Amino acid sequence: MVPTPSADAPLGTPIAAPVPALAAQDVLFDRSARTTWRLGFDRWAGWLLPLLFLVAILPILDLVWYISKTAIPTLTWEILTSFNYRTVDALGVPIVSTVEVLALSTAFAVLLGVFGGIATAEFLSDRSAGWVRVSANMLAGTPSVVLGYFGFFTFCIYAGWGYVMMAGVLTLAFFMTPYIFRIADLAYTSIPRPIREAAYGSGTRPHQYIVKVATPIAFPQVLNGIFLAMAIGLGETAPIVLTTTGSKILPPNLFAPVTYMTALIWADFSSPSGSGGYDVALQCAFLLVVAVVGLNILVRVISARYRKRLEGLYQ
Amino acid sequence: MSAGAAESSPPVVSVQQLVVTAKKKQPILRGISLDFPARSLTAVVGPSGCGKTTFVRSLNRMVELTPGLKVEGVVNYLGQNIYDPRVNPVLVRRRIGMVFQRPTVFPMSVFENAAFGLRLIHEAEDEIDAAVEEALQRAGLWDEVRDDLNRPALALSGGQQQRLCIARALAVRPRVLLMDEPTSALDPAATQRVEATMQRLKEEIVIVLVTHNVGQAARVSDRTAFLHSGHLVELGPTADILERPRDPLTQQFITGRFE
Repeated sequence: MVPTPSADAPLGTPIAAPVPALAAQDVLFDRSARTTWRLGFDRWAGWLLPLLFLVAILPILDLVWYISKTAIPTLTWEILTSFNYRTVDALGVPIVSTVEVLALSTAFAVLLGVFGGIATAEFLSDRSAGWVRVSANMLAGTPSVVLGYFGFFTFCIYAGWGYVMMAGVLTLAFFMTPYIFRIADLAYTSIPRPIREAAYGSGTRPHQYIVKVATPIAFPQVLNGIFLAMAIGLGETAPIVLTTTGSKILPPNLFAPVTYMTALIWADFSSPSGSGGYDVALQCAFLLVVAVVGLNILVRVISARYRKRLEGLYQ
Repeated sequence: MSAGAAESSPPVVSVQQLVVTAKKKQPILRGISLDFPARSLTAVVGPSGCGKTTFVRSLNRMVELTPGLKVEGVVNYLGQNIYDPRVNPVLVRRRIGMVFQRPTVFPMSVFENAAFGLRLIHEAEDEIDAAVEEALQRAGLWDEVRDDLNRPALALSGGQQQRLCIARALAVRPRVLLMDEPTSALDPAATQRVEATMQRLKEEIVIVLVTHNVGQAARVSDRTAFLHSGHLVELGPTADILERPRDPLTQQFITGRFE
C-alpha cells in the first residue's frame, strides 16, 4: 500500500485523504506573474487580432471598393445583356463565352480530378498512389503562366489548332484538375475505416462501395472542391491569354477564337482611364469579383450543410 | 480521524445546479447538484445520451474543449468554484485528473508516458523516477513493466495501456480522478484488473466513475448516481440504488429496460 502523507506536504508527496485546509497545490486561483501577464495579453489580443485581420483584408476591401465604385455606375442592363458590340461595349459575348469555357474546363477537370481521386484513394497501390499525389502536387504548384506555355506549345503549335477555345479550355482544365483531384482524394481516403469495413463486410463489391457508400459521404466535400476550383479557374488569366485570341462574337465551334473575361481585362486595362476599354475592364473585374464571392459563399453553405448531415460520423 | 469524521468533513467536489446547454438543442444537463466526499467512489450510471459523459467532463472544465457548450452553475473544488474567471483551468485539471474510454497512451516509452504530467509541472528530475514508480504502483502496473520501462507504451496490451493512463493521471497526485467508461474497450480480465486498481485508489482519492455497466457499479462503487435526460434522478449507496430503487426510472434502468 502506498503511504499517504499529509496534504500540506510539498508537491511530490502523496496527498492525505481527509480534506484539510487548502494546500498550496489545491489553490486554483492563479495570480502568478506569468498567468497575470498571459491573461492581460489575452485581453489585448482580443483587440489586436481583429485589428490585424482588418489590416490584412484592407487591400482586398479597397480593391473591391474601387472596382465597385467605378464599375457599378457605368454598368447598365443593356451592357450586360447586349451581344451587339457595334452599339455599346456590350458584355453579353464575354459573359457567355466565359461561362462556356469555364463549364467545359470544369467538365474535363471533374472527369480527370474526381475519377483520378477515387482511383488513387481506392484502387491504386500505395506506391502508385504516392506517385500520383506527388505529380498532382507538382501540377498544383506549377505557375499558371508555365501551364499556359505548355498549352500554347501543345495545342496551338504541335496540334496545330492555333489560338482557339479548345486550347484554352484544356489548358484551364489542366490548371483546375489538381485542386479537384486533391480534395476528391482526401474525401475518399478520409472516409472512416469502420464504415469501409462495414460496407465490405456486408458483401459490397468495390464499385458498389464507391457508388453506394463512399460517394454519398464524400460528395459534398468533392462538390466543394469543384466550386473552389471553379472560383480559382474563373480568376485565371495566363492559361487563357497564352492559348486563345479574343473575339467579338460567341465562338461558333470549339476551334474558334473566344473571349474570356480575365483575358479581356488583361487586354483592356491598359486603355486610358475614361475610355471605353478601361470601363469594360473594370466592369468585367466587378462581375468576376461577384462571381468568385458567390462561388465561395456557395462553398460555405454546402460545407455547413455537410457538417450537419454527417455530424457524428467523424469522431 | 475516524470514518464518521471524514463523512462530515466538507466534500472535495461539490456540484450545485449544474446546467450544460448546447446551441439550438435540448439542454444536456438540467440542474444537477451533488457532492463528492473524500475517499469515495461514485458511479454515474444512466442510459446512453443521459449526459453522464458531459457531467464528468464538466467537473474539470474539459467540457470547455467541446465547442458550442455553455456551462452554468457552480462546481466547487475545496470551496473554490472552478468556473470562476480567476481560476486557471490548467490547475483545475492537474488536481482533477481524467481517464478516458479508450486508452490514450502517447507514442513514447512507458516511463515517459507516466512522467508526462510531472514534466509539465517541472518536477525536479531526481524526483521523477520515484514519482513514476509510485504512480505505476498505485495504478497496479508496476510489476508488469518494471523490467523494461523504456519499451514503447503502444506495445502494451489494451488493459495495460489503460492502467498506464491511470498512472499518468495519478503521477501529478490529483485529489480527484474522473473515469469515463474506462473499461468499455477492455476484455474481462483487463476490466477486472482496472476495477481492482479503482478499489485500491478509492481509499486515497475521490473517484467519479461513469459506467454503462450496472454490474461494474455494483462491484466497485460506494455510491451510485442515476442520471436520466440531464436530471439526477436518484443518488444513494450503491446497494440501495441497485436493490431498492425508489424511482421507477431507476428501476427500469437497472432491470435492463433501457439502452
